[in-house]
Amino acid sequence: MKGSEHAHQGGIDYKSLSSLMIAAHELKSPLSLLRQLALSLESEALSEREQREIALHMKLVSERALRLTTDLTKAQRLDDGLFTLEPINPQQLCEEVAFEISPLYRACGRQLMVVRRQRPLLAIANKDLLRRILLNFADNALYYSDEMTPVELSVSAREHGQVIRLGMRDYGPALPIDAWRSLHEGIGRPEQIHARPSSSGLGLSIARQFAEAMNGTVGVTRHRNGASFHVDIYASKQLSLI
Amino acid sequence: MNIVLVEDNILLSHQFRRIFEKNGYDVSVSPHAVGAIDLIDEMRPGVIVLDMLLTGSTALPLLHELQSHDDLARIPVVMVTSLAPDLSFETLKPYGVTHLLDKATMHPDDLLAAVRSLTL
Repeated sequence: MKGSEHAHQGGIDYKSLSSLMIAAHELKSPLSLLRQLALSLESEALSEREQREIALHMKLVSERALRLTTDLTKAQRLDDGLFTLEPINPQQLCEEVAFEISPLYRACGRQLMVVRRQRPLLAIANKDLLRRILLNFADNALYYSDEMTPVELSVSAREHGQVIRLGMRDYGPALPIDAWRSLHEGIGRPEQIHARPSSSGLGLSIARQFAEAMNGTVGVTRHRNGASFHVDIYASKQLSLI
Repeated sequence: MNIVLVEDNILLSHQFRRIFEKNGYDVSVSPHAVGAIDLIDEMRPGVIVLDMLLTGSTALPLLHELQSHDDLARIPVVMVTSLAPDLSFETLKPYGVTHLLDKATMHPDDLLAAVRSLTL
């Protein structure tokens, strides 16, 4: 009998409860912010420009929260195998992600740039899952980047072209060791919430699950002035046949 | 009157900054504890508005650091955090925390009232 079945016999699935508490904690932050913004709209004397800005912030915060809820749903359904792997252009995907996240970055006074490359690469991946991994990296980098230096998104070939790496480099304070651990331990126990700075690392944990579903891996390199997150996936052989 | 706001959620810090500035306060923001201690040392604010969960650490090392300096230890701290229901105000008091506000339930006026009560 599996551990989770044991837990169900007792009436409570503690593993699910842990995940639920962490997800609830993670969603509390955007919901609290939305409430603060709504209260300002309701009770503050605001100029038209301020009203537009608050409305934009509410939209961006909602979208970020919705990304997390959709990620959680998809992570639960990974075992169903209802996604396909296909050849995709990772450079183009990076451009699309940078475009999608740019309103949030602009509102926060940050910038995300895609590093140009000459030779095209082709990867085997599920486009939606890979997009979600990069959006998770981008959400995370927003916390850890400074105003002066853009976050960089780049694509490179590794292991003699067998593996494609999509990496996101931010420039800011060093990555807390807890975020690093969350990559390796998956979703943690509820009591860990209080020990974690800023975020539970749930987004990064989901990114790891998405990568593994595509036979890929997620990793991070800590730098003195920031961090690089990457996802490694297999290259498509199609280009070499041309 | 100067306020140092230590908050790593950029959009929330925009929100707090707007409210404070409209009410005549000068606001300096740091998203993390490391930058905050330098900023506090430089600005010598009348009040510190502090989140508990910050980029790179919790607020506790910052509170400890402030208490280790005679002059900085006297600056009142308004703690604004979604962890408020799980924190003990009595435990935080010795660290200079005068108010503990829950981000999830407070009204923007509550924050302003807390700061005003310390700057009158």
